[in-house]
Amino acid sequence: MKFALVGVGGAGGRIVDRLRREEKAAGGSFSNGSLLAFDTTRAAFEQYDQIPLDRHVLVGDTHPEIRGEGVDGDVELAVSVAREDRDELHREFDKLELHELDAVVVVAGLGGGTGGGVGGVIVESLQTLTDAPVYGLVVLPDESEPERTALNAARSLQSFVRFTDGVVVFDNDSWHDDAQGTLAERYDELNGHLTKRVLAVLALGELADAEIAENTLDSSDLMKTLGTGGVSVIGHAEITLESGGGLLSRLLSPFRNGTEDEPTETLAMRTQDLIKRAATRRLTVSCSIDSADRAFLVLSGPPAECSRKGFESGRFWLEAQTDAAEVFAGDDPRPNASVVSASILFANVTDVPRIEALKQRAVAAQREDR
Amino acid sequence: MKLATIGVGNAGTKVLDRMLEFENATNRNLCRHAMAINTARTDLAKPDYVPADRRVLIGDTHQKAKGHGVGGDVEVGADVAKTDIEEIRRAFDDVEIHDVDAILVCAGLGGGTGSGAGPVVIDELQKMYDEPVYGLGVLPGKYEGGRPALNAARSLQSFVTKVDNFIGFDNDAWRARDQTIEEGYDEMNEELATRIVTLLAAGEKDDTDVAENVMDSSDIMRTLDTGGVSSIGYAASPVDEQKGLLSRFASNGEEFNADEATDATKIKGLVRRAVNSRLTIQCEVSSADRVLVVISGPPETFARKGLEASRQWLEQKADTVEVLAGDDPRENATELAAVVLLSNVTKTPRIDEIQSQAVDAQNKIRELDAVREQEIEELITDENDELDPVV
Repeated sequence: MKFALVGVGGAGGRIVDRLRREEKAAGGSFSNGSLLAFDTTRAAFEQYDQIPLDRHVLVGDTHPEIRGEGVDGDVELAVSVAREDRDELHREFDKLELHELDAVVVVAGLGGGTGGGVGGVIVESLQTLTDAPVYGLVVLPDESEPERTALNAARSLQSFVRFTDGVVVFDNDSWHDDAQGTLAERYDELNGHLTKRVLAVLALGELADAEIAENTLDSSDLMKTLGTGGVSVIGHAEITLESGGGLLSRLLSPFRNGTEDEPTETLAMRTQDLIKRAATRRLTVSCSIDSADRAFLVLSGPPAECSRKGFESGRFWLEAQTDAAEVFAGDDPRPNASVVSASILFANVTDVPRIEALKQRAVAAQREDR
Repeated sequence: MKLATIGVGNAGTKVLDRMLEFENATNRNLCRHAMAINTARTDLAKPDYVPADRRVLIGDTHQKAKGHGVGGDVEVGADVAKTDIEEIRRAFDDVEIHDVDAILVCAGLGGGTGSGAGPVVIDELQKMYDEPVYGLGVLPGKYEGGRPALNAARSLQSFVTKVDNFIGFDNDAWRARDQTIEEGYDEMNEELATRIVTLLAAGEKDDTDVAENVMDSSDIMRTLDTGGVSSIGYAASPVDEQKGLLSRFASNGEEFNADEATDATKIKGLVRRAVNSRLTIQCEVSSADRVLVVISGPPETFARKGLEASRQWLEQKADTVEVLAGDDPRENATELAAVVLLSNVTKTPRIDEIQSQAVDAQNKIRELDAVREQEIEELITDENDELDPVV
């Protein structure tokens, strides 16, 4: 799928910057430089090296309470300045080559004031600015972040879900633990996990070394999957192939427990197992996959490493597990890849304990405020 | 037979491409005209044998397709084809219809394009031409799941009503344990191409000086004339070159009878194998309406007695008197092949299975559609509705 990237706020901008860097590194062409970064903090733009200057949009710089210094987590303030500047914001979208793209992806951290507030106004505006589907890619705050971030996130998630065609969610809390360092120290690492998953699914077929698949997934399949609306999550698992060829790695179990004499695993078993692991390991937000409405599975790697039987039975297993009637599945042949990976988009998951917890914290924070 | 062959969608195009490859490799000349129609630009880049100017992209201006497929949605597939019907019609104008006996439309029924656009294409062909239009449909395997089964079950109805005969191919039939995805599709398409081309290309050389047993296009068309769903059986064995040569020299000598007897046994055995092994779609042979058997290979390996015995065996097995049998001489063939067409078979377990899978899928899709909005609302709002959206 080809899509424009619109980053809002610090987290959104960093992710857009990262996605663009990965796009260039892979010789890809999903955004082709159709980028925009919105922020209320002038200094935020300094950290980007992939988003050109003319794509930096400072919102509310003339507002007396902001002046390019940010909204300090005040989502109401962010909404009101974005609305005041609405005409100006709309003009910025002329810079995106929307007619050449399939969709627009608005990326934002929902805990902050800018991502949730300005982001909310942007997704609302995009409804009238384009016929193309608009998707959200949002980050939910970690529990270690202030209570207000939970309130911002719970409220702006409502706006994102209502005004977009679907929201892919990444939950910092599912991925971060303070024992591993502070959240700020781990932005790069967490964004690495996020971008890998997002690219495996959304940028399918748009990277330079992509060959034509046997069982092709088209942009339409992806858009149909996301077309349910609601909250979507991504699962991913991969196996690094032993150097020196596929044969050796085929004989070695990915779960080698030291002994060389373990029973050998067939390619079919390994392929199916990889798909199962992608569905059951850490998702971008932990949730019950049986509440998913549709699913989209990509098996990527050297063709010789992808078993038809394993792929088909893995796909069948996935359909049974999710109890979804629409499971799109395809291969993504990468003759020179050193890994085989399975990535799964679960669309419209509705049983998401993390979002329930977020709403509870938000309600408590709101009562406290009043 | 001389065909105009049209591949619709990704699977249909691949089958067509494989048919052309097989023709090429075996010096056959079946598809006098080949055309691929698809909704996805990337898929149209794939064929090796379908000429670039015979690949038609439809739906590139359609709001929901835009040249990148129809999202496995049979409704969108049909809508795209209807919208671009003028373009399809113009492409058909290039078909020199007086050169062909029939039109074959190949499609996969599990996706959105073949299943949806296929019947629209067939409708148009039936309107434009008097020649019979046959369908070759790839049915999704069990493991492809609910949506493909639903597409296939619905599309099969349209195909069977609209075409003069529908030849079914079950994706699961060639599923093997140790294949990669690439090999899986390759092998399957190759098996299908071998069967369909060997069958339909029989009797293409109507002008050569031929023996009386030689199959004629009109026999094949007569067998297909039943309508309904058909299945193809196939078996082949390598020709012993030494023996072939010897029998030619010895044809006036004493060894002739012995050879004739072995050849007859061999042919009868091949025909049995063709029917009893994998059919393109599993069915009860006795439910067939008409049957046709073609023996294809070097003429010196043919045996009139074998052909006759096979015909009788098939009459009994298929419980019909309408069994046609004939030879398809291929001077330089390295194999002797028997291909059996079982026309209008009415007992096909896989189709019953697809239909029940489809009913389940349709119910599930409706259930999910009905609760979707409400479940999303419940996910994003709190119980007492205290939280307001920011925008």
